[in-house]
Amino acid sequence: MAEKKRYAFVIDPARCIDCRACLVACRAEWNTPAGQTRIWVHSDGPQGVFPNLSQTFIPAQCHHCEDPWCVDACPTGATFKREDGLVLIDEEACIGCGLCVNACPYQARFRNTVTGKADKCSACFHRVEAGEMPACVATCIGGARLFGDLNDPESTVSRAIAGRAVYRPITNEVNTQPMTLYLSSPAAAAVQVSPQPREPVPAETFWHTVALPVVKAAVALAFGGQALAFIFQLFKGENEYEEA
Amino acid sequence: MTEEITREKWLLSRRQFLKGAALAGTGAALAKAGIFDLTPARAQGTTHFLPGPTADYQVYTMCEMCVWRCGVVAKVRNGVVEKLDGNPNHPHSLGNLCARGQSGLMMTYDPDRVLAPLMRVGERGSGRFRQATWDEALDFTAEQMLRIKDTYGPQAMVFSSTHNLSQPLFENLLNAYGSPNYGTQRSLCFNAMVTAHLLTYGIQEPARRYDGMKYIILTGRNLMEGISTSETRQLMEVISEGAHVVVLDPRFTKTAAKAGEWLPIKPGMDLAFHLALINVIVSENLYDRNFVNNYTVGFDELAESVKPYTPRWAAELTEIPEATIYRIAHEFAAAAPFAFAHPNWRTSNFVNSFQTERAVAVLNALIGICPEQGDCIFPEEDHVGLGSPPQPAYPRISAQRLDGVPWKYPLVPLKLGVFQEIRDNILTGQPYQARGWFFSRQNPIMSLPDQAKTIQAFEKLEFIVSVDIILNDSSWYADVILPEATYLERYDPVHAVGNRVFIRQPVVEPLGEARSALWIYRELGRRLGLQDFFQYVDEEDYIRQQIAPFGVTLEHLKQVGYFDVPREKKSGERIWDTPSGKVEIASETLRRAGFPAVPVWEAPPEPPAGRFYLLTGKVGQHTQFATQNNAYLTEVDYHTHDLWMHPLAAAERGIRDGDLVRVASDVGEVEITVWVTEGIRPDCVYMAPGFGHTSKGLKKAYGRGANASRVHVTYTDPVSGGQALTQTFVTVEKA
Repeated sequence: MAEKKRYAFVIDPARCIDCRACLVACRAEWNTPAGQTRIWVHSDGPQGVFPNLSQTFIPAQCHHCEDPWCVDACPTGATFKREDGLVLIDEEACIGCGLCVNACPYQARFRNTVTGKADKCSACFHRVEAGEMPACVATCIGGARLFGDLNDPESTVSRAIAGRAVYRPITNEVNTQPMTLYLSSPAAAAVQVSPQPREPVPAETFWHTVALPVVKAAVALAFGGQALAFIFQLFKGENEYEEA
Repeated sequence: MTEEITREKWLLSRRQFLKGAALAGTGAALAKAGIFDLTPARAQGTTHFLPGPTADYQVYTMCEMCVWRCGVVAKVRNGVVEKLDGNPNHPHSLGNLCARGQSGLMMTYDPDRVLAPLMRVGERGSGRFRQATWDEALDFTAEQMLRIKDTYGPQAMVFSSTHNLSQPLFENLLNAYGSPNYGTQRSLCFNAMVTAHLLTYGIQEPARRYDGMKYIILTGRNLMEGISTSETRQLMEVISEGAHVVVLDPRFTKTAAKAGEWLPIKPGMDLAFHLALINVIVSENLYDRNFVNNYTVGFDELAESVKPYTPRWAAELTEIPEATIYRIAHEFAAAAPFAFAHPNWRTSNFVNSFQTERAVAVLNALIGICPEQGDCIFPEEDHVGLGSPPQPAYPRISAQRLDGVPWKYPLVPLKLGVFQEIRDNILTGQPYQARGWFFSRQNPIMSLPDQAKTIQAFEKLEFIVSVDIILNDSSWYADVILPEATYLERYDPVHAVGNRVFIRQPVVEPLGEARSALWIYRELGRRLGLQDFFQYVDEEDYIRQQIAPFGVTLEHLKQVGYFDVPREKKSGERIWDTPSGKVEIASETLRRAGFPAVPVWEAPPEPPAGRFYLLTGKVGQHTQFATQNNAYLTEVDYHTHDLWMHPLAAAERGIRDGDLVRVASDVGEVEITVWVTEGIRPDCVYMAPGFGHTSKGLKKAYGRGANASRVHVTYTDPVSGGQALTQTFVTVEKA
């Protein structure tokens, strides 16, 4: 591989027409269970009083943060961040504990009702690696959803943000360095796209402060015991086996 | 039940894929998905996390979730359609698909599909059917159609369809059978637009050019919700490049949200607005003198007749300020030739919609439409000389048409017809009694106004046959249902866009006993003794005969999805296909038929006190009455099936957001939940079409939302034959 990639979504709310083709494309690509979705189009409106109205549509999905809290929260390492920036889930390693769902300040994760595992936008990495765009981006009629490599100056995302102000959906309290760059302030739909400070659930606190150390200690003890026994045996030497 | 087996099979295969892929470990599928491109540490440790869907193979075909026909790349795995993508080589998709197009695979895998021919066993409308073989169902259908023909004449059989690629074969069947009675969606949709533009330009549907446009007036083309993928995309493109878009709509649509200017015009008054624009442009000499002098007739007559239609006059009617109308007239003319008033599409709003469309057509002519003598309003040449199977001449038809064309509606183009009139004349039995109805891709129970009348008409008939994919509301009343393969399972005749010819081909084998329309019509034709009109061995043979003139093989077409026909050089000057050979600002045809020759004011009716205009429109997630059972679309059609009502109007009646209300007109009533919104005029309420299905064969759609056709009153425009859907006035009260 040549240069290291730095994948990002660039979203232009001014171009979103709320047609929801992206939502269906994502559902079809991933066979997401009914009632759940990996991506959203938030709407604020209409705002104002007749006849002076406005309405903004804000596409959103997992932001593949540079400081992903979900990765920290995951007790098994199933959620991980790739070098190219994508935050992915190893389904086999996922135990479905749901700690990452709680940890995400954007509510971008959910527990898949069919698999029981954590689920979220994976930026259609299999399409991207085959040279295609993520399903939502490929089908976007308005051209509101873009995806690509920020390290490549010729990529659609690099060209889209060139010379433009970009907005990250962050607050003073929460900054996970999301890799979604909005071309206009998503503040219009602030409630939906602003990150909410996470409050660890008791299970997570318990896991990290009690269970995990205990398990680690137990594993260490078991290994240590085995090692001791082995060394002991080594020094002691082996007894001849005697038939009764 | 075959339906159940198929559903199981499908669910199983969808799940097996997920499971199989997860278990595949280091299989080829994973290599294809490229999961080894993990960070090195990750790649060493894990090779078993879930890969994304990958296809075994892909097929180029065409969408049929609406009439726009986008190009599709269908991905297949384990014999199941996994994903549809837009084909970048197709000018209608440009690589995109809308929500409906993306959901297309769920039409094929709809658990409610009809997968074997059905014959009615219970009372009509009871929904009790038994499965039959194709031979039995087709023999019975042919026997009934021949009995009707022999007893009452072929005119006693009514045929109905909607725009689709197998429509020429359906029309072949009805013409060969000898019936003059053909009801389509046209009079419920675009009669006013087509009739007005035929009379003005000799063009059915003018092309729209967006490149470089600076000023666009939309008077009823809600492109962000009535989505035509490429056109919607082009509109968004010019908006982002700074084009000024004026949207006239009593409702704050998604198009209004994207436009520079939204004018919540009083319903039916669009005509006054356009007449006032014409008034300013003519009286202040803002028109394109060169174009008007060289390419039009009747300008002087127009100049005289529009004198009373001042912005001040229009302001009172439209409830748009005089200064705004005046400003828009100036801005519009100044932006010419990079400006146009959209010719619109569904223009079945008021009895005066024909005049509105004439005014739009004339307005565009006045500013010269665009450069090159109106070049851009000509649809791109799509007369590719496709081959066709040989066939004899159709029998001569002497019976009058039940839709009143031309004996009641002299100016309605024969091809357009007046669908609602056929239904009414089944009830009156005049000028003769119809006995049978054959429909395909048409759902008159939902589509025609005044549903109670349509059901009565059904009850009067001796025989009803339907070609359908799921048990739509009208099929629920049929005697025989012939199950058609979906667009992902069948061939259709090829289709040319410009000089590029596209194929629709099977992506997967049809489920159950479903068959293509090409097969169904040929088999039925054979049983009706009309085999000479269906001279093809099978679907592939039909297409081979179509592409024979071009030296292209079917195999090549299937592989690539399209082929290009050499473009003929355009002749120097365009010919206007009108009686005068020019753009007819004044039409002698109209004058001779007793109608005003130039666009004139015609006051639309207004609701009496206590009643609302009932608006109809489009949602971006559904197509007419056909997609509401689609499991992917019901996931994303939130906020679309409520009644829109302004807060003031709601407060007056003690109605709160989410309340159940009764909406009643002179012909019927429905119950529906309310969405209280600032996005609608206080004198209007709005219901999206397509909800409130009555067929219990549609498990998802049955009873969801309410159906406006139960309250729509039938009003027909005497010039174009269009149904006036917004002329129904309703009361709204808490249920």
